[in-house]
Amino acid sequence: MMENIKENRVEYFILLVAIATFMVLIYKFRFNKGMLIFLSGVGSASYIVWGVIHHLIRGKLTKNIVYEYVLFGLLVFLLFFSVLSF
Amino acid sequence: MFDHNKSRDENSNVIKYWRKHPKSIEKYQFVYHFLPREDKKKRADLLDNKAILIYCVLIVFVSVVFRFVPKFAPGVLGYASNITISDLLKYTNQKRKENGVPPLKLNAELSAAAEKKAQDMFKDGYWAHVAPDGTEPWDFILDEGYDYIYAGENLAKNFSNSKEVVEAWFKSPSHKSNLIGANYDEVGFAVVNGVMDGYETTLVVQMFGRPRQPSMLATVGDEKGLPGENKASAEGIEPASESLGESVSSPEQENSQETPSSEVGKEEELAEGSYLAQSNANPAIDITTATKTVSLAFGIFVSVLLALDIIYSRKKGIRKFTGLTLAHFMVLVVVIISIWLVFKPGLVI
Repeated sequence: MMENIKENRVEYFILLVAIATFMVLIYKFRFNKGMLIFLSGVGSASYIVWGVIHHLIRGKLTKNIVYEYVLFGLLVFLLFFSVLSF
Repeated sequence: MFDHNKSRDENSNVIKYWRKHPKSIEKYQFVYHFLPREDKKKRADLLDNKAILIYCVLIVFVSVVFRFVPKFAPGVLGYASNITISDLLKYTNQKRKENGVPPLKLNAELSAAAEKKAQDMFKDGYWAHVAPDGTEPWDFILDEGYDYIYAGENLAKNFSNSKEVVEAWFKSPSHKSNLIGANYDEVGFAVVNGVMDGYETTLVVQMFGRPRQPSMLATVGDEKGLPGENKASAEGIEPASESLGESVSSPEQENSQETPSSEVGKEEELAEGSYLAQSNANPAIDITTATKTVSLAFGIFVSVLLALDIIYSRKKGIRKFTGLTLAHFMVLVVVIISIWLVFKPGLVI
């Protein structure tokens, strides 16, 4: 795991910054459901883009990996949306 | 000393046993639903793309069920709440104090107007400042005979407690301007339970005002001393178990000349306690808890599988041709924390 982090330290740093920003924003807008749904969508889409770019840079991008990030991003959005839509 | 012959015999016996009892191999295969496979260089079966797609479909299915249940069984699903007018007043004045604004006094006429507004929203099934027939918040205030110079309205729905309601208003700039508006001297609240769109709900209406005549100011300001506090529900309001939350704010509005004058002093009505209600909505199924439970269950389940994948792969030195498991895990942990700790059920508009 540590090798994985060391190997991808720039990507993980970007991901951590994005996660921290996301957490601050959702706390700030915690009473604004419209904004929270928007942030969930943007966050999920950003994660898909992050994953695809990471694997593209490393030359390891395959169709399966693209599907994996798209499905995982969709799962994350649906987990948020199913709570926020009520 | 290691005995090669003995080891070979043991392996041979194991193979013979598996040939004789093929089911026993299938039993071991089951672990690969939860653990990564070294031979195929892939994650656990329950983490592959098909499985993730199934989780997505299941989440959508459950959400659709929650949407349809109220159409067939109105009032079964709802928003559990415990909101009291005394707490709403307390937290409102606390916010005003923190911002250097004098506290508001509870006014019976404004409370009556707020209650009528809430009942009107349930009756006509709308969720807005202005009713479908064009009735504005000021009409409710004037109908109660409250002659004002300035008036405002905040609405809330789906909140579980009084503090969250006031906090939500305070976080919204337009509602905040009402909440800590220096032009207001008095406030009225209504916390009304009912069924809206099939969901059991609590509507909170907050109406602000500054009376035209200073003598109209209510003299009862200390909510703790008011009798009737924490009574079951407002007079004339049917107790229900749905909690809706809506917040609306309006700009200060100068009263026109034709507005009726209001009566002076309403301490007697306040003493009756009819405006110091609390709402304890207890639907059969609290939709907030239900949706959070479903999301958290899926989120935690996938997170545990990802954690197992990370630990087991490291232990066995398995390298897989997949996306970054640690990144997936980190993102899911953020999702779980957000849903568990940050997301509130209430709405402000």
